[in-house]
Amino acid sequence: MGKKFLSILVLIFFVLATVLAGCSPSKTSESKTETQETVKPVTIKLGMWSSSPAEMKIVEDQIAKFKEKYPNINVQIETIVGDYMQQLQTQLAANTAPDIFYLDSMPAPQLMSSGVLEPLDEYIKKYNVDVNDFEPALLSAFQWEGKTYGLPKDYNTLALFYNKDMFKEAGINEPPKTWEELKDAAKKLTKDGVKGLVLSIDLARFNAFIHQNGGSVYKGGKPTLNLPENAQALDFYVGFITKDKVADTPQNMGEGWNGDAFAAKKAAMAIEGGWMIPFLKEKAPDLNYGIAELPAGKQKATMVFTVAYVMNKNSKHKDEAFKLIEFLTGKEGQQFVVEAGLALPSRKSMGAKFKEKYPERAALVDGASYAVPWQFGLDGPKIVDAANKACEALIMGQITNAQQALDNAQKEVGQ
Amino acid sequence: MGTKMAMRKRYLYEALTGYAFMLPFIASISIFLIGPLIYAFIISFKEFSFLNPGASRWIGFENYIKLFSDPTFKRALLNTTLYSLGVVPTQLIIALILALIVNSDIKGKTFFRVAYYIPTVTSTVAVSVIFLYLFKADGLVNALLAKFGIQGPTWFYDVRFALPSIMMMAIWSSVGNYMVIFLAGLQDIPSELYEAAEVDGANKFQRFFKITLPMLRPIVFFNLVMSLIGTFQVFDQAYVVSRGTGGPLDATMTVVLYIYRTGFRDFNMGYASAMAFVLFVIILILTLIQRRLFKEETY
Repeated sequence: MGKKFLSILVLIFFVLATVLAGCSPSKTSESKTETQETVKPVTIKLGMWSSSPAEMKIVEDQIAKFKEKYPNINVQIETIVGDYMQQLQTQLAANTAPDIFYLDSMPAPQLMSSGVLEPLDEYIKKYNVDVNDFEPALLSAFQWEGKTYGLPKDYNTLALFYNKDMFKEAGINEPPKTWEELKDAAKKLTKDGVKGLVLSIDLARFNAFIHQNGGSVYKGGKPTLNLPENAQALDFYVGFITKDKVADTPQNMGEGWNGDAFAAKKAAMAIEGGWMIPFLKEKAPDLNYGIAELPAGKQKATMVFTVAYVMNKNSKHKDEAFKLIEFLTGKEGQQFVVEAGLALPSRKSMGAKFKEKYPERAALVDGASYAVPWQFGLDGPKIVDAANKACEALIMGQITNAQQALDNAQKEVGQ
Repeated sequence: MGTKMAMRKRYLYEALTGYAFMLPFIASISIFLIGPLIYAFIISFKEFSFLNPGASRWIGFENYIKLFSDPTFKRALLNTTLYSLGVVPTQLIIALILALIVNSDIKGKTFFRVAYYIPTVTSTVAVSVIFLYLFKADGLVNALLAKFGIQGPTWFYDVRFALPSIMMMAIWSSVGNYMVIFLAGLQDIPSELYEAAEVDGANKFQRFFKITLPMLRPIVFFNLVMSLIGTFQVFDQAYVVSRGTGGPLDATMTVVLYIYRTGFRDFNMGYASAMAFVLFVIILILTLIQRRLFKEETY
């Protein structure tokens, strides 16, 4: 009897709690609008993926600050779990997509060209946004046929992560600065089951080498996979594994990705981005490592991966939505990105602050000025597939000639 | 006359009641299954992207024609066929053997029944992740092989071994399901038949081939169809193991994985729908052939 009574009491409590909780936010917003002006509060939905609780916290903190400035704009975060582009695509089709949302540079051309995004140029002019402060490589990834569709929120570049202890042991004083030095270092570092370098079969990594060699897989709106410069670069990249045997893929080392192999001390060097820092802090807290700019070939080059906030063309509150984008990618919003240190702030002025705060990560910021965005037009995913297959075939020894592998890849994309 | 009218009325009333009971199902199936199916059939004749449905255009059979010259689709079809040919017979034979074992009077059969069934109720993604660990370059399997002096391959990352590895995984994880169905069928066979056979002096093998198998025929047919459909739709193992790429070098590219990539990554829903219908027709034809082979009266 007593038990039953108790459970009913608990139930009533829960019902009341939910009802009250449901009521309270709307009440506070109502009272706020009365004191402000008679503008009706609007709700802006923000779509994002969340790679970590730390990333979620950045956005929540940014929005708390935003609310102080714009009390009558409510922001509702919609986290998409699982395949982001799949879900976003269906939401856009069903007209239930958020007002503003994350967009990665790779699928951006498809969305920009299909007219589901609102061009931001008009708003940029209207609200006087300083777009020249953005790193040009980042902003250009979200421009299509002369219009700007997104403002970059942050980015990451590739750099050389090297194990300082292993370097010392091998008698190398400085991280390699050229291709020759890289090969030399890899040779010296390979011993006792440890490889000098871990290299993944991924265009997102070896494209940096292609550009260092003056090549490019996408030029003037067309795939250009089989340029001789590209073949040379790929040959150099794969050669570490197949010819010199001073590197291997993470899979062959029994690891999931470059980060795992580097953390497990199975490789002395890895080419990765800023996401390695929190990862290594957790997985290998006592690993003594340094971050250097990627070694240069004929020229310096690295990859830049960026994500922007874009606006849904069917948003009902475009002005408010833009205010949110402006805030999140503006100096105030970017301050939170600097503090968190997960990714780099997209504004040049804030990049300087980041370097001040994290001098040991300077290489990541310095790379931005000569970085190539991760984007290859409308056929981007196909180019990536074909290039990866070419690299895979070379590493697995199915083809020995890099030029031939890339010729095949070009043919595959061409049709 | 009067009674006929009354009967008719009653028949109508009963029919209406029946439909009323089915209404929730009919409504949900038409909204969530038949509707989308028809829609997908229509867009398979279009160049269609969800991002911009307004700009889709009618291209007739172009998607279907393109399919048959698409090397990746051909590869995916080949992989799926190989996968099916490998998995279906192996899985059914093992399932039948297991069912016979757990149907006999061995000790602890309840334990075995549960043990064999557990993989079936485990999520494929979880199973795939465990297998990735077991079969990684320096994983448990290779450590075991090394004890016998065999240098193991990298399994999931080796062009020759990737598909067989997935096949092994599929067999291991779904065999329990078919075992349970076989078991139900075995227990439905009247024991008098065996008793009579025993009296007639039939040995174990004769009893199995003359009684058990013929009596199980409808169950075998059912399992065969289900297994075939399941294997032709293989997706999640391939997706997890290759991280959605179908690699290495398309070795694990299956038809459904290619459909998924075309629709959701290349934003080409029309082409993806065309592929889905080709797959549907293939499965339909295979099922009809099987029905023929097993003859309708037994089903």
